[in-house]
Amino acid sequence: MEDIKYVFEVEKDDFVRAGETSSKIKKTLRELGIDSSIIRKISIATYEAEMNIVIHSLGGEIVLEITPGTIKITASDRGPGIADVELAMKEGYSTASDRVREMGFGAGMGLPNMKKCSDRFCVTSSEGKGTYIVIEVDLKAGE
Amino acid sequence: MNEKYFHSVVLNEDRCVGCTSCLKVCPTEAIRLKEGKARIIGEKCIDCGECIRICPNHAKSAVTDNIGILKKYKYTIAIPSLVLYGQFRSNVGINEMLTAVKKVGFDEVYEASIGTEIITNVVKNHMLKDNKIKRPIINSTCPATLRLIQIRFPELLPNIADIETPIEIAARLAKVETAKKTGFSMDEIGVVFISPCTARMTSSRNPLGIEKSYIDGVLSMKDVYGMMLRNLNNGKVDVMTRSTKESLLWPITGGQGEPLGIENYLAVDGINEVIKVLEEIEMDKLDGLEFFEGMACVGGCVGGPLTIENPFIARSRMKALSKGLPNSAAGEEEIKVQIEMYKEGFIRLTEPIEPRAVMRLDDDISKSIKKMEMIKEMLKDLPGIDCGVCGAPTCKAFAEDIVKGNNRDEVCMVKSMKSFNNGKA
Repeated sequence: MEDIKYVFEVEKDDFVRAGETSSKIKKTLRELGIDSSIIRKISIATYEAEMNIVIHSLGGEIVLEITPGTIKITASDRGPGIADVELAMKEGYSTASDRVREMGFGAGMGLPNMKKCSDRFCVTSSEGKGTYIVIEVDLKAGE
Repeated sequence: MNEKYFHSVVLNEDRCVGCTSCLKVCPTEAIRLKEGKARIIGEKCIDCGECIRICPNHAKSAVTDNIGILKKYKYTIAIPSLVLYGQFRSNVGINEMLTAVKKVGFDEVYEASIGTEIITNVVKNHMLKDNKIKRPIINSTCPATLRLIQIRFPELLPNIADIETPIEIAARLAKVETAKKTGFSMDEIGVVFISPCTARMTSSRNPLGIEKSYIDGVLSMKDVYGMMLRNLNNGKVDVMTRSTKESLLWPITGGQGEPLGIENYLAVDGINEVIKVLEEIEMDKLDGLEFFEGMACVGGCVGGPLTIENPFIARSRMKALSKGLPNSAAGEEEIKVQIEMYKEGFIRLTEPIEPRAVMRLDDDISKSIKKMEMIKEMLKDLPGIDCGVCGAPTCKAFAEDIVKGNNRDEVCMVKSMKSFNNGKA
């Protein structure tokens, strides 16, 4: 089976380049001929993951892996981690700074949105080390 | 001619020197140099006209009909794009312009204003009041934007307002009215659009969202301009304009959103900016947006590739002309009739606008993945400076063409040049 894997570095606080990774991933999926509704889900989830790395972490990477059956996004970062994952999964909960909120981010929808957009979603975090998120979306049968 | 991929944009081979300018501005990477000439890939072209605008040698132009088309009909009606009003010096009035159009050889001139009024009324009083209609509602008036959405944003196709363009609406009303008035059959009446727009030309031949256009011919505004100039200041002027302030501002970016009386609309012009904002909309980033007006040309239709005047000058003239016109004032009854017309399908997009997945590498995903791996490998070996010398707009496009089997001859010249080694061995 042919698989494909792309690794993208994401830097902290780089709001100018923020969003580039999710754009590139979206473009890749379009070229592969993935169904557009799936592309949309993946790009929304990836964008949220990317912004989380930019806003909250010390930097990290996003990995895109595609097999003929599944698309998998792994977002991992170095940073403070999430103290209470369960709380962070609640819509509206955010630890973003005022500066970030002024820029229109930090509405506390990141993790819930990622979950909504994925078929399988997993977040693990250890305080003081970083966060590791896996988002998987299945390709519909027959595609 | 392959009608499936009919495009109004064509190449004059004698004039093309193979300079690569158009390669770089094409928003869908639809141009390749082959044997030194900039050829268009039919399935990717959205007729935006960027290549016509940039070509220093005027090698790219648009196929339109010629004035001889008037002979085919017993009764002819001209519908000039409203943008026409911005093409002449400020001392020329709208009625003088319309009279000059008529003298070109038409039996009647019909203004597109009625179409703009109807669209505003239907969107404002019907679509925006129906919460089941997907938001943001995207304007259907820019055919290049529509074709762009088909190719790059298929998820947004359901957001497109399913109403015809002002020109098509005007054409329908004009033809029906004239048939009643004159007794001529529909086939005997020729409706000719005077167009600033290459994509509109394509759409009259290959309509999007409707079965058949009521527009029988399209003349380029550039061609009609000269004929009109000779007719200006020449005899009696017929008073025929029914335009309103709003209709004159309509073809200028923001002119569609503004009269809707809502705060949450967004008007964007220039094909690359339209792409960027559609990306945001597709990612659900623009919360609460009700209406999106995306215009491929800078300035809106005033920036169309077949216009004469600079879009900013044309815009300023149209704004000045609009000051002397009445406000639109359709009564409740009139609006009701217009909404009925829409509901009955007379001015509605009744055919589905299908996605066109021309960006994909292969129909089979496993094969696509294999091809993408090959492209990835090839890119490691290419200089990545996107010079266009090989004939493809970018190194990636070069690799894609090879993998897709569309390019068997070309090589990367730059790779062999020491000065461009880019640190690679």
